[in-house]
Amino acid sequence: MRVTYNWLKDFVDIKIPPKELADKLTMAGLEVVALEAKDDDFIFEIEITSNRPDWLSILGVAREVAAITGAKLKNLCLPEAGKKHPKVKQHNGKLRIEIEDKKDCPLYTARIIRGVKVGPSPEWIKKRLELVGCRSVNNVVDITNYVLFELGEPLHAFDLDKINQEKIIVRRAKAGEKILTIDGLESNLSKDVLAIADSGKVIAVAGVMGGKDSEVGFTTKNILLEAAVFNPVIIRRSRQSIGKTSEASYRFERGVDLEMVARASLRAAQLLQEFCGAEESGFAISGLSSLQVTQVDLDIVYVCKILGVSLTAAKIKQILAGLGFSIKQKSKNILRVQVPCFRQDVKQQIDLVEEVSRIFGYERIPNTIPSVKPDIAVEGTRELVREVKNALLGLGLNEAITYSLIDRRGLVDAGFASGVKPVEVMNPLSQEQEILRPTLMLGLGRAVGFNLNQKQEHVAIFEIAGIFKAEKEPEENLALGIALSGTKSFFTAQGKVKDEAGLLNLKGILEKVFGRLGVSGYEFISQNDSLVQICVEKEKIGAMFELNHQSLNSLAIKNRSVFLCEISLEKLFSFARLNKKFTPLPKYPGVTRDISFILKENFSVQEILVQLKEKGQPLLSDVKIADYYQGKQIPAGYRGFTLSCFYASGERTLTEKEVQPVHDLLCELLGRQFEAKLR
Amino acid sequence: MDINLIQTQIEGDLAKIDSLSELEEVRAKYLGRKGLLAELTGAIAGLPVEQRGAFGKQVNALKNQTLDLFIKKEKELTAGNTVVKKSNLDIGMPGIAQELGVLHPITRVTEEVCAIFRKMGFSILGGPEIETEYNNFTGLNIPLEHPSREAFDTFYLKDYSKMLLRSHTSPAQVRLMKDKKPPLAIVVPGRVYRPDAVDASHSFMFHQIEGFMVDENIKLSDLKGLLETFAKAVFGNDIKMRFRPHFFPFTEPSAEVDISCIICKGKGCSVCGRKGWLEILGSGMIHPNVFKHVGIDAKKYTGFAFGMGVERIAMLKYGINDIRLFFENDLRFLRQF
Repeated sequence: MRVTYNWLKDFVDIKIPPKELADKLTMAGLEVVALEAKDDDFIFEIEITSNRPDWLSILGVAREVAAITGAKLKNLCLPEAGKKHPKVKQHNGKLRIEIEDKKDCPLYTARIIRGVKVGPSPEWIKKRLELVGCRSVNNVVDITNYVLFELGEPLHAFDLDKINQEKIIVRRAKAGEKILTIDGLESNLSKDVLAIADSGKVIAVAGVMGGKDSEVGFTTKNILLEAAVFNPVIIRRSRQSIGKTSEASYRFERGVDLEMVARASLRAAQLLQEFCGAEESGFAISGLSSLQVTQVDLDIVYVCKILGVSLTAAKIKQILAGLGFSIKQKSKNILRVQVPCFRQDVKQQIDLVEEVSRIFGYERIPNTIPSVKPDIAVEGTRELVREVKNALLGLGLNEAITYSLIDRRGLVDAGFASGVKPVEVMNPLSQEQEILRPTLMLGLGRAVGFNLNQKQEHVAIFEIAGIFKAEKEPEENLALGIALSGTKSFFTAQGKVKDEAGLLNLKGILEKVFGRLGVSGYEFISQNDSLVQICVEKEKIGAMFELNHQSLNSLAIKNRSVFLCEISLEKLFSFARLNKKFTPLPKYPGVTRDISFILKENFSVQEILVQLKEKGQPLLSDVKIADYYQGKQIPAGYRGFTLSCFYASGERTLTEKEVQPVHDLLCELLGRQFEAKLR
Repeated sequence: MDINLIQTQIEGDLAKIDSLSELEEVRAKYLGRKGLLAELTGAIAGLPVEQRGAFGKQVNALKNQTLDLFIKKEKELTAGNTVVKKSNLDIGMPGIAQELGVLHPITRVTEEVCAIFRKMGFSILGGPEIETEYNNFTGLNIPLEHPSREAFDTFYLKDYSKMLLRSHTSPAQVRLMKDKKPPLAIVVPGRVYRPDAVDASHSFMFHQIEGFMVDENIKLSDLKGLLETFAKAVFGNDIKMRFRPHFFPFTEPSAEVDISCIICKGKGCSVCGRKGWLEILGSGMIHPNVFKHVGIDAKKYTGFAFGMGVERIAMLKYGINDIRLFFENDLRFLRQF
């Protein structure tokens, strides 16, 4: 909202320069986001928080200026809080106001003004309106706007001769009713819209915009000046329903001061008489006859306790009085505070504490450090996630963060739409955000595609985030996704080496992660050449696979292979054993014996390792693949392996005599059960 | 067998070599378990008794001389790099090590912020991204029909009544305060969602960090002190901090926290919108209505809460000018952090 330095001075003497005033306002909660010198005035652009509709006027800001500078408000004889609503003599008994529901419209006033001469506004009105960002229309409309900006009470002038003059009805619109508003657009109305109607039709959308038919123009002679208060909720619904906002709706939606209604109407009438040659000939009012007065008891000890600063009753009284509150000392520490009508936001003690702290100045409140009683409670899965991330970073993977909201189309096109029913968003901005992702794969696949298109030779990324599915309740599960593509090249002492990504890289990465978490008993079960299920203790926790042609196409990836895996971290973490136990180091040296052999391609080396470990008990303490090869020396359809068998005992140094029979047995087993040929 | 001949042969072999690995080969040849000297020692037993003594002495003498020769040669080979003639080290060549991965800058900043609060005694906890309307709004004293709701524009879920994607991390306050008893000192980082059209400074998904503390006698001055410590830890000791009154429905009194612009040092530039100040977080004393909703006695306990946008902090800290970069996952971007 904009206010000007000179306009403020109509209501309060300001002894400080504009820049200093801007800083003071900012530090009192009216953030001045821009200060601009224009003509012989200064424009303050202020951000008004939604709890303070009373600041949406020159007068409202002037009140604050008075409070923070210690000056007095002038040029206003405001009705005192708590008094009955000022009765105005009703001249013209003919005009009737009907309010269908007082909840929608607590107060409505109509003033008949005859003989206006519509023309351009005086320069000073035009100029002030321009400075606060309002276009000049004609003198009548400008005066209603001038009062709106000055006092914060929106007014509307109808051309009296273009409406049915018997009565004004404030009612909900009916389905099927329409109105052409002053912006030249037609709106369909509904029961969610509050309307101003004459005995025939709707003449305005209450508090939002007037109708074109009854707009004040250069031929207008007589006007009906509306000043009212509407329920903020119905104004919000109305303006949403017709999709229009205005300076009026902005204020009604936040709450308009009931006490200001009659004053604003009178102020406009005076200006109309002065600058449009008009004569007042009638006034009608309907609605509340008395105002509710709020009283709050404020405990001084509570103020000091919340703020961490000691303030005297006198200081607190002085601050609140400056803001327009009236205060009585109820007891030693309790002040009885009467809230002025324009401060509908003040309802309880804490609201007054805020007022005191604002004006006292946050900068004068000391900085202290609270003593914390730390809670050493477990931080849930965060520690485990950190372990996983650390392991992945060490393995050279980079963390990605991709959108949790995705398009269903992309999911289907990439072939990632499994049977899982996705959670749908009711109000997405576009199809790109229509569902919550049931998998991390699409985001990771897209990130890989993006990087390959940026000519990256090697992409290795992971993401740890929630995936979602629609069950009876929407489910949210933490998942780990990894994507690999391209060729990693690195140096060794022998020169540059290249390693092309494949499923075995994913397997290796996962084994390290599992090891880090103390997860054992895991299996990689190959479904086919491009799909591997990942299980821990027979429970499926995820899968890894190579993207097929369709997926690659949909991700715009050409001539590259991409490998993805996704694992449920909830499931994985349920197998984690982070409590490490020390195993004593071996006292006696062991014996390593190698076995080299060739194996038909259809035999699984995994199975061999399992069998050897079992049959080699108790002396065989470990068996590993030491080397493997395929090539010239190996017959077609075979793979060559060297297994390294480590024999050891915790009780003695093993002798050749003990090891040899076991080793022979294992060699024999290889030949018999797996058709391996020893080399 | 001529012992002297053997010694000459050993000396000849040692003279030819110039690396430690070759030395080990020669050592194996003569001094190894199956080496020549072991063979000679083994042969003693096969000699006639009268020859054994003399031959044994000769072998022993040879062994000692040989050991000395090896020690001498080894010293020669290891005495200073200049002696290693065949070394082809060029330290200008690329170093050999496995490539390290990097954390996403959002995670980096989140971890950094959490670590600061952890040092001050806070626990780090999480909360779900799918929330109830109650936790996201009502429990936080945000009326259903109120303009303040607009600041928290929200994605609702289809098929689930009153369920939504949290538009801020504050609903974690409601969950945790319902669940746990004071004293509480908790920080909750996480993803949040708002239906904002994507541009250089808006994203429909972003990250926040929420923190709150509840105990007897928690004061506004505590919040100020704690946040100043935090801001200096993140942005450096020479920044100024400003605590500016603001409005949030779930705190009162509320404050926005500004730091002096880290680009122009407060003079006013395009980054701070000529204000000289950068807003970094929102905060305040927890509203008694929130305590009422979660069943904490507002007469006994007071508390403060604060929340910040991680992208904003990261953008300021690293000088990133477009929020979309965070979600493109361009490796050339990620590897800079």
